[in-house]
Amino acid sequence: MDIFTAIAEPTRRNIIEMLASNGELSATDISGKFHSSPPAISQHLKVLREAKLVRMEKRSRQRIYTINPPAMKELEQWAKQKTALWDRRLDRLDKVLQAKKLKNEMKHGTY
Amino acid sequence: MEPIKEVTFERTYDAPLEEVWQAWTDPKMIKQWWGPDNVTIPECEVELRVGGKIYIVMEAGEAMGSYKGTRWPMLGKFTVVEPKSKLSYDVHAWTEGHNDNGETTIDQTTEMTLTEENGKTKLNLKATIHKTGPGAKMAVEGMQGGFTQQFAKLKKFLA
Repeated sequence: MDIFTAIAEPTRRNIIEMLASNGELSATDISGKFHSSPPAISQHLKVLREAKLVRMEKRSRQRIYTINPPAMKELEQWAKQKTALWDRRLDRLDKVLQAKKLKNEMKHGTY
Repeated sequence: MEPIKEVTFERTYDAPLEEVWQAWTDPKMIKQWWGPDNVTIPECEVELRVGGKIYIVMEAGEAMGSYKGTRWPMLGKFTVVEPKSKLSYDVHAWTEGHNDNGETTIDQTTEMTLTEENGKTKLNLKATIHKTGPGAKMAVEGMQGGFTQQFAKLKKFLA
């Protein structure tokens, strides 16, 4: 699953936000914060792992989860790229509107 | 830190609402600003109704160097059409010739709202990415690579 589909689901978004503010959490900690059944949460964690949004490390008997920075960086890059594209596009729209305004003013002799 | 999948914009244009609406819905007008620079819009189709088609093709121009002739189409449907007020569409965009299994596909939604404010027009825009193919990132980087080449050329020219 790609990163955008993975973060579209609210529980998975919540897990990421929790990991981002806590640094690391065990699978038990994460499950404890939701009303859903542990297997359901476990399934969400699997999706997040496969999308490489989180990393899992076995420490004694616990499964410890952390954010995987490269995936978060990738999300950030997409947002930056989209922002740059639309910023330039909306600037060009302004130029087109201003050119049209000038043309209208000239036509109506108000310029 | 929040995983981001959408970007939002707010602009105020010194133009009547009707003209901003027209610039967004008349293919002849869209072609003038959709861009980016040095990219042409050889095809643009707008069926302005809910369920109607939106189809825009961007084609890399001469200044894009090795990317010249690359076509980036986007095709989808309008989900909201409230004349002179609101537009929303769901589209997928891809790189032509590099999308046999949807590798370069990007699914996205764009929502645009116009409000009149003292003779000016306020535009609010939200662009959301829903899904990206495994090669989409590279395709976008290729597109940016084209722009970088173009900037390098300009720099050389100005030097």
